[in-house]
Order: sequence, then structure tokens, then C-alpha cells
Amino acid sequence: MAWIAERRRRSRFESVVLPHLDAGYALARWLTRNDADAADVVQEACLRAFRYFDSYREGDAKSWLLKIVRRSCYDWLERNRPSDLVPLETATDPDGAVHAPSAPEIDPEALLQSRSDLRHLDRLIEELPAPLREALVLRELQELDYRQIAEVTGVPIGTVMSRLHRARSALRGAWDKKGCR
Amino acid sequence: MQCEEARARLDAYIDGEVAETERALLRDHLAGCADCGPEAAALQRLREEIRNSVPIYRAPEALRSQIRFALRREAAASAPASMRPSGWLAYAASILLAVAVGSGGTFLALGERQEDRVAAEVIDSHLRSLLGAHLTDVVSSDQHTVKPWFAGRSDLSPPAVDLSAEGFPLVGGRLDVIEGKPVPALVYKRRQHVISVFVLPAGKADLGETLTRRGYSLRHWDEGDLGFWAVTDAAPSELADFEHVFRAATKG
Repeated sequence: MAWIAERRRRSRFESVVLPHLDAGYALARWLTRNDADAADVVQEACLRAFRYFDSYREGDAKSWLLKIVRRSCYDWLERNRPSDLVPLETATDPDGAVHAPSAPEIDPEALLQSRSDLRHLDRLIEELPAPLREALVLRELQELDYRQIAEVTGVPIGTVMSRLHRARSALRGAWDKKGCR
Repeated sequence: MQCEEARARLDAYIDGEVAETERALLRDHLAGCADCGPEAAALQRLREEIRNSVPIYRAPEALRSQIRFALRREAAASAPASMRPSGWLAYAASILLAVAVGSGGTFLALGERQEDRVAAEVIDSHLRSLLGAHLTDVVSSDQHTVKPWFAGRSDLSPPAVDLSAEGFPLVGGRLDVIEGKPVPALVYKRRQHVISVFVLPAGKADLGETLTRRGYSLRHWDEGDLGFWAVTDAAPSELADFEHVFRAATKG
């Protein structure tokens, strides 16, 4: 009896979640910047998603999976490449108190322009800080709307908007200056 | 509208995230302003450049099968432990739940039961076509090939028009099954996204809006005695554009 229910659960998972595997892989690929690492992270994320599947309520399965893939990417980066995770914004309390960032804040525009070896847009995107990169990739390549990006990345819509703006400004700055193609 | 105000809203504007009234104000300002207009055009160019020049990553086939294998193992390992104490009652409940989900419980918000069921089936059929090899039975961008192919296979004759010029090339058609009956499905592309258009006998009024279900966008409209159901994983606004150009092209 048990295996019938379990098989039902698995086949439902496969039909609801696996159609979004390409989207999950693409996000992981942009965040880890490497094929083999992206594959590892996505497999781990799918097993995680399967374990949490009971918590999935009918709704936006794509955002649900992307959220878990993203979390898995950050866990993986923390363990394997902590230097990829530099703080982007100065942390603020809900009451507005500002904390000093633990490392100096980065200026993505200056960062991109200082790298004269980057002549292609995909390489420029890969050099963006992860929070800007993921917002841009989810919007331009996965074509999520602001509400979905906010859901996947766990930040308010206003933050999504400002991250997209910063990502685009940085890309345009670098791109215009170097006449990249 | 002032430049400063317009600049702050440019990203939201090109992302389709401003309401209609504000959209009109911004459009007017951009058309008349020699600074903001080119700025918006540059943002649009950047978007096109990104979409055209950046690689599209897809999950490798090997990863897909590895994941299926791992899920099987995981399910086998967890079944006895998680199911044993719960017994018959939980099992019966799980079947009831599966039946409720399977019969389109999701679409109750739409009100009409038959519509709900059709909407759920349309999404399932679209998904099946993407997962398996059955995306198209007839592969052609030529309406004179696609349309006659359906004759004799279905009572319904869908208007197969190529919309390449509008950015929605016709890829082909297939015969699918909705509510136990064979129905024609037209297949269009929007960049890397697939749009399936199912053709049923006309039934209910237009939905008039794009529904989002399970990450897919869905639109329904009637034209003459045919009812159309379009489904895709492209953005909801693009499906609305698709309906617009499809109806314009098939009316004439």
C-alpha cells in the first residue's frame, strides 16, 4: 500500500516540478558559473524539493523550485566558494537602524569597468555580484515578473527593482565604454 | 510628467510593471523627451542584446535521468518509514487528495466546473508534449500544410496562420486529447518558449485575462464556433500579445 502512495507522490512531483528543471539548471549555472557544479547543486535541490513536496501547495511550481535551487546554490557557495558571496547592501533593521557592513560595499559598475578582459555580455553578467546577477537572470532570461523574483530571492519588490536597475546600469556602463559585442 | 519622475520608473516601464494609466503618462513623456526617450531605447537594446547573445543553459539529459533515478531511490527509502504508522486511513486520505487534485480542484476560483477541468487538462497536455517527444505530429510553418493535415483527423478545422512576422513562428500541429476527445493543437514558438493552442468547440465567454497556474500562463477565447485555449511558460504579457496577433490574423 505504502509504495503505491509513494509512487503516486513521486510521479506527481515529476509532472509538477521536473518541467521546470531547465529553469532551475539555468539559475544554478549562472550562480555557480560552472556546468558540473550547477548539475550537482540542481540534483541536491531536487531531492530537497522532493522531501519538502508536502509543503508545496498548488501554485507557481516554477518559482517554488527556483527558490529551492537558489537556496541550494547559496549553501553550496558558502561551503565551497565563500568569496563569491560578498555583501551587496548595507544591512538594515526593520526599524531602520543601519549596521556597518562586515566588508566594504562593492560598486558593481566600477568593478566591471576595471576588468578590461571582459568583452562579452555573458562574461560581464557573470562578474556581477550574485544578488544583482540572479535578479537580472530571473528577469531577462527566465522572464519572471517582479513579484515572482521577490518570492524566489526572498526580498521585497522594491529591492528587486533597485537590484535590476543597478545590474543594468553596471552592464550598460561597461558595455558602452568598451564597445563590447 | 517630469524627467526625474520618469527616470525612476524606466526599469519598471520596460519590465511591464506599471499600471495602464501611468504607462500612458510615461509613453507620452518618452515620446516627447530628448533625454528620457533614448534612455528607454538603450535599456530596451540592452535587453535584446542580453536575450540574443547570452547562452541559454538547459539541464543536460544525463542530469535529468540521474535525478529521476535519485528520486526513485529516495522514494523507496522513505516509503516504509513514513507510511507504516499512518495505516489505512492516511492511505485512503491520500487517494482522496490525489483525486481532488487530479480533477482540477485548483481551478475552483474560475467558478465554472467544466472550464476548470478543461484548463487543467490543457496545462497537462501542454506539459506532456514538452516532456515527451510528442510536440508536433506535423512539422511545418506553412499553413497550407498544417491546416489540411487536421482534415479527417478532427471535426474541427483550426485556422493555422504563421505569425513569424509578429515574433510567434508557427512550428506545426498535433492531435491531442482533451475531455476524452481528439482535438487539434497548434504549436507556436516565442524565442525558446513553446505556445500550445488547443482548439475546442466554442463554449464559454472569454476569460479576458491571463491566468497563471503552476507557473504557466493560460488564456481562453472564442471566435465563431471555435474555442481557443493557449498555454505557455512565456510571460503572461506575451501570451496576451499572442492572443491579440492571433485573433487579428485569423479574423480577416
